[in-house]
Amino acid sequence: MKAKAQAKKVILYIAMLAICVITVGPFLYTLFISLKPATQGIYDGLLPTRPTFANFSDAFYKTDFVRYLLNTAIVTGIAVPFNLLFSSMAGYALARINFKGRSIVLTLIISTMTVPFQLYMAPLFQIAGELGLRNSYVGLAVLQISTAFGIYFMRQAFLTVPKELEESAYLDGANRFQVWWKVAMPLVKPTLISLAIYTFTFTWGDYLWPLLNTTESSMYTLSIALAQMSQNFDGGNLKLISAASILTTIPSLLIFIWLQKYFISGQTDGAVKG
Amino acid sequence: MSRRPFSKKSLTTAIIPWLFLLPSIVILVTFLVIPIMEAFYWSFLDYKIIADTSEFVGFANFKEIFSDEMFWKAFVNTILYVAIVLPLNIFLPMILAVLVNQKIRAVGAFRVLYYLPVVTPIVVAALMWKMLYSQNGTVSNILETLGIIDSSMNFLTNTTTALIAVAFITVWKGLGYYMIMYLANLQSIPNQVYESASIDGANSMQKFFKITVPMMVPSMTLVSVLTIINGLKVFEEIALTTNGGPAGATTTLVMYIYDKFMNLDVSIASAAGLVLLVLAVIGSLIQMKLTSGREDDLKA
Repeated sequence: MKAKAQAKKVILYIAMLAICVITVGPFLYTLFISLKPATQGIYDGLLPTRPTFANFSDAFYKTDFVRYLLNTAIVTGIAVPFNLLFSSMAGYALARINFKGRSIVLTLIISTMTVPFQLYMAPLFQIAGELGLRNSYVGLAVLQISTAFGIYFMRQAFLTVPKELEESAYLDGANRFQVWWKVAMPLVKPTLISLAIYTFTFTWGDYLWPLLNTTESSMYTLSIALAQMSQNFDGGNLKLISAASILTTIPSLLIFIWLQKYFISGQTDGAVKG
Repeated sequence: MSRRPFSKKSLTTAIIPWLFLLPSIVILVTFLVIPIMEAFYWSFLDYKIIADTSEFVGFANFKEIFSDEMFWKAFVNTILYVAIVLPLNIFLPMILAVLVNQKIRAVGAFRVLYYLPVVTPIVVAALMWKMLYSQNGTVSNILETLGIIDSSMNFLTNTTTALIAVAFITVWKGLGYYMIMYLANLQSIPNQVYESASIDGANSMQKFFKITVPMMVPSMTLVSVLTIINGLKVFEEIALTTNGGPAGATTTLVMYIYDKFMNLDVSIASAAGLVLLVLAVIGSLIQMKLTSGREDDLKA
């Protein structure tokens, strides 16, 4: 019986490792290409013969990488805190306060989630231009500083906060805003962190909106710059592109690894129930 | 609590929820609701965006796209693409979730490794897979070794494989995302259900198909709806690998809309966008109807 359980465990680990090859394999493949020296062909063997960081330093110094990195960081730095703040404010009202029009607002917000971005990108492009948001950080972040998804996600979390906790705060003389900020917000921390990861990874990697809203290369985000770089894909710059790809992914990855503990439990709270 | 209609107190109480909502409403109305309404409006206009002149043309834009061969090709490709992604998205992440829900060592590390593609910027994912799919690339080498293909090939420039190849990029990138949804659902299944099945002599396979799968219906519905909504708007995976080619084999509705937009045919683009919206709504409704029926069966 024990041997059978042991064998089952081994099979389980083999299956799980095999899946890792699929999910992580492409990264390793790209990493290996980025480490290949100039003398080795891109598809010439899987591993680099003499690993070199030359491609990374080229990506860093021979392109405007630092500029693009900074642009992406600023846009993401605007999007994440504002989305957390505004979405949790709206989500709280929709979860906890009874008022006329609440269900209409909620229905409207949920139904906008079905609407494909490509339907309204042309009018949006025009509006952003009229408001002077073209080639600006705020213009790039504007779709993420409050999102329908964020509001819905936060609302679901606030629904699980016990009402009794809030009521005792009211008895102590707190007002709505104090109760929201001091009582409810700390209790939905895992959900806030999940939303932070979502907003971070989405804004960091967003492609279509920055592509439309930036016409000057000095405002490019990493994704746009990377896509531009890869225009002549079959040229000799694949190692450079691979190195830049790895560098672009690292911040997203670090944030995720840092916060993943909260993330997985936060998701368990909000994703399926309700 | 009694309410006097115009007292100062009740007025403040009435205003408070709107204060909470104000920032979000301002942003969503300006950058979401107004653009959506404009897109509806533009689809009935012949709108010249540069000259800023417009003329009401009724359904002429829709007539034009419905008689455009390329539109129908894009329409069919979009449906095909969703049809490839949907079953894979429903079942593969579920298997992953069951695996990482085991109480064994290092399971947390596996969850992180499976989630990795989700946090990868889509441009990076597209570029990586473009290399993997290329002539003499890894995918070709593996399939050749296994004897599935005769000689090395580029999967993105072949009309039969291109759409499947880009669909796989989408599936790869979404595995971890949907896995987490299934995981949440799995963890809500009470352990007693499995224990009593074990007492009745059920093996792991029977438990998976007779208990796990039916109990996962709520998250299957969610995953299906999200797959349809997200699948219909697939863009980067295609724009950055095949750009709609070869010979229109991967031109989806969004690629069609994007092309029209780039040619400043914004009215045509809006009309095609509305078709996309209708598909998204229909897809979600059908899926919800189908699965809600099954949920009722379970309760009975």
